[in-house]
Amino acid sequence: MTSEPSSIERKRGGLKSDQLSGLMLLALALYVGWENRAYPVGTLQEPGPGYMPLILVVFLGATGLLIALWGAKSAPLASMNWTEAARAVVILVACGVATFALERIGYRLTVIALLIFFLGVIERKRPLPVALVAAGFSFASFYIVGDLLHVPLPRSPWGF
Amino acid sequence: MAETFQNLMLGFSVALQPSILVYAVVGCLIGTLVGMMPGLGPLAGISLLLPATFGLNPIVAIVLLAGVYYGAMYGGSTTSILMRIPGEAASVMTCIDGYAMTQNGRGGPALAIAAIGSFVAGTAGVVGLMLLAPTLADWALRFGPPEYTALLLIGLFILAYMSGGSMLKTLAMAALGLMLGMIGIDVMTGYTRFSLGIVELGDGVGIVPVAVGLFGVSEILLTAGAVAAPEVQRPRLRDLVPSGEEFRRSAGPVARGSLLGFMIGIIPGSAHIISSFVSYGIERRISKHPERFGNGAIEGVAGPESANNAAATGAFVPMMALGIPTSPVTAVMIAAIMVHGILPGPMLIQTQPELFWGFVASMYVGNVVLLILNLPMVGVFVNILRIPYGYLYPCILCFCIVGTYSVSNSLVDVWILLIMGAIGYALRKFGYDLAPVALGLVLAPMLELSLRQSLTMSAGDYGIFLERPIATTMLGLGVVLLLFALKPLVFKSKDWRSEVGLEKQ
Amino acid sequence: MKTTTLFAALLATFAAMPAAAQGSFPNRAISMIVAFPPGGVADGTARPTAAAMEKVLKQPVNVTNRPGAAGAVGNSVVANAKPDGYTILMALSSISVIPAADELFNRKPAYSLDQLVPIALISADPTILVVHPSLPVKSLKELLALARSRPGQLSFSSSGIYGALHMPMEMFLHAAKLKMRHLPTAGGGPALIAVLGGHVELTAGGPAAITGHVKSGKLRTIVSWGGERHPAYPDVPTFKELGYKNVEYYIWAGLVAPRGVPDPVMKSLRDAVRMVVNDPDFKNMMAKLNSPIRYMDAPEFRKYWDGDAKRLAALVKVVGKVEAKK
Repeated sequence: MTSEPSSIERKRGGLKSDQLSGLMLLALALYVGWENRAYPVGTLQEPGPGYMPLILVVFLGATGLLIALWGAKSAPLASMNWTEAARAVVILVACGVATFALERIGYRLTVIALLIFFLGVIERKRPLPVALVAAGFSFASFYIVGDLLHVPLPRSPWGF
Repeated sequence: MAETFQNLMLGFSVALQPSILVYAVVGCLIGTLVGMMPGLGPLAGISLLLPATFGLNPIVAIVLLAGVYYGAMYGGSTTSILMRIPGEAASVMTCIDGYAMTQNGRGGPALAIAAIGSFVAGTAGVVGLMLLAPTLADWALRFGPPEYTALLLIGLFILAYMSGGSMLKTLAMAALGLMLGMIGIDVMTGYTRFSLGIVELGDGVGIVPVAVGLFGVSEILLTAGAVAAPEVQRPRLRDLVPSGEEFRRSAGPVARGSLLGFMIGIIPGSAHIISSFVSYGIERRISKHPERFGNGAIEGVAGPESANNAAATGAFVPMMALGIPTSPVTAVMIAAIMVHGILPGPMLIQTQPELFWGFVASMYVGNVVLLILNLPMVGVFVNILRIPYGYLYPCILCFCIVGTYSVSNSLVDVWILLIMGAIGYALRKFGYDLAPVALGLVLAPMLELSLRQSLTMSAGDYGIFLERPIATTMLGLGVVLLLFALKPLVFKSKDWRSEVGLEKQ
Repeated sequence: MKTTTLFAALLATFAAMPAAAQGSFPNRAISMIVAFPPGGVADGTARPTAAAMEKVLKQPVNVTNRPGAAGAVGNSVVANAKPDGYTILMALSSISVIPAADELFNRKPAYSLDQLVPIALISADPTILVVHPSLPVKSLKELLALARSRPGQLSFSSSGIYGALHMPMEMFLHAAKLKMRHLPTAGGGPALIAVLGGHVELTAGGPAAITGHVKSGKLRTIVSWGGERHPAYPDVPTFKELGYKNVEYYIWAGLVAPRGVPDPVMKSLRDAVRMVVNDPDFKNMMAKLNSPIRYMDAPEFRKYWDGDAKRLAALVKVVGKVEAKK
């Protein structure tokens, strides 16, 4: 019982990727189904606001379950390659921070900061091109979208 | 016929005046630039330009706006093909094969075929508008809720043809998209559903942030952190021109896409969005090599792009013949002429012949202008690929954020964009196709509303779908499509899908 | 020392800038929200108004359609918007109905009326009952006879549940003790298309939206909800004339702002609208649209609105739970 599982067994055991994703979908369906209880389902003749969501919950739950059940042949979760995941999370968090800042410090400052972070910190480009791209992109895009197309892009509290 | 010809001459005499021609060119240029902004589509483009047209005469105003509309439709395909960012819902399908072609070094031909397909479809659409507008408009009005339901169901069944991956995963993604479409206030009863207390979500989840997030942002997340950065492409001139083989493959999809798009475009409502999805599904279904779709099939660019442009023209039929704004875009156009005191209505063609025929002629001119502008621009646009990815992706991300924000000046949309980027990334890691999510999101609110409206009309009797000829025919067609889709599940070994499906897993 | 002075000077400049920016309202585009899709009464009034306001304010006034749930979406967007005067609403009379309906259903209200303050009333227009020309009725009497012979079989379309085109129909049906099927759509435009296409038999339409179709014979007018005959439709009788004393309904369109807009900004908006209604181009436009201008400045509009809201809230209670009925 305590013997080390062989490499083949390790491959066969453990959660498979489709099993995980299928179960996640099932969980989502159950959550939506729980939320949906607030809305009247109505009848077949007169469907209420909860009618179509209920059908979709059942459908998504069923497909999720089937994906999980038939997922035994799919690639094991452990074999999935997540090399780019760390970078992806950093990019998303940076964009999230930028979104949060957009209406606080204005469009131009936010974009300059975001581009300096991406180009200078993540991609480690040389400072001069970074500064040129960041400032150039920020002002050029503000001019096109904000001034020419009259989109009210957010400005900083200092009117900039 | 002779009368039509005479009228058309009148139209061209209007449209070919140098001053009007200049506006057509300017409109196409601005439209193309606006369309290239991720998130800013035709509607945003012409809404933004509307105030500028009030000082112009009505013909110039409508020619300018039509140019912007066309340009934006086409501009959306440029970012879809080169960066996998759909400018608007209709470009979602172009992203898939268009971007795959770019990765194979065939970005130039994809852009060229998109331009040519748009031109052919646009011109065919104008011919249809010119010859058939009054007839077709009456037909369009017969599309009530039951017909709409049937049409949307066909759109749903087309899903089965859309992806080569596992059928179960496709269905799950469609359900996910439909579920996203349930968010927001229910039109029939006024219940606010799944809005998490966010007022903006009362309006539902917009297709633009979802499409840009699922396709554009997820692509960046997958690529930016890859161990080997994508190679910089140096397209040579001969790589920009489609090969004879590519032209041959595109002819059929362009023709079918034009017809299909025009027919769907006439129908009042927002169903024209599904034309590109339906076209893609059909091309994939009738192709002898469906496995090429998703990996850079030129048919997957030619069909949807043509359908999308023909639908855009088709939407003008009820607008011109009946004076009813059937979509937000045509509503803005109607507003543009109403400001000049021209009352749109069924009599518009008779009372304002030079407006209608000038508009028709300028649409011909606009299509030619767009083609002349865009074919040489292909050479310019592909140079984007020369930019090292390290510089390119931060700028694309910023463009996505500002474009999404501009649609309704709402940060909620930007958050949706980022969340959808993360979800798209995870789903692609697990081998899910994302196009069904976009289609589901587009279909869900329309399908639910029209189904429940139909049942209200018949007091709960499902027989209403069998009493109305158009609805019945379309439902029959839908059932046939569904049976074709189910066939490979029953006779598994005999179909290509099993091979492809296994290969994909 | 020098640095501190410079820093202080910079700070002072930054602090002064927003104040200066506020002084000159408007210094950027104003967005005028319309809570219905294009093609309806709200949209038809908003676009000329916005165009005329642009000329006065020298800044773009963008009309933004935020349709959904009979206007609740757009209304709540404005009710919860930043009260800086850059987000205003072209409200329809149905704005008063939605909170009443929410109350009726014990729903969490999307917005409440005290979140909004009036700027000015722009137009008030009675709705007109129109039928598809294939329906063999030419007068209210014939319509009533037909509806009584086919109880619950005729159907009407509306701009959405409790919407601006739903309330007058319910008012009429209640007074005439009739039953009809109700087809809610996403706005006045789709509601009109439903009648034009013959998918429903009748609807209540705004005079502006139906003009072109009545002239070309695609719709037939039956009766109007106005207090007196509509100047553009002198042949169409009113419910009042025909003995329905209490069946009177106007769709009004007026500009409202979120509560808390600073007084000077409110004043410039009110002044702008006052100039708009005297703009010959605007008058010309509204005349062409058959939409009578009925201008009231904020205090007057406040009174009018309060009275209207009370009347409509009472009607919602009388009509009751439309969903539960049937």
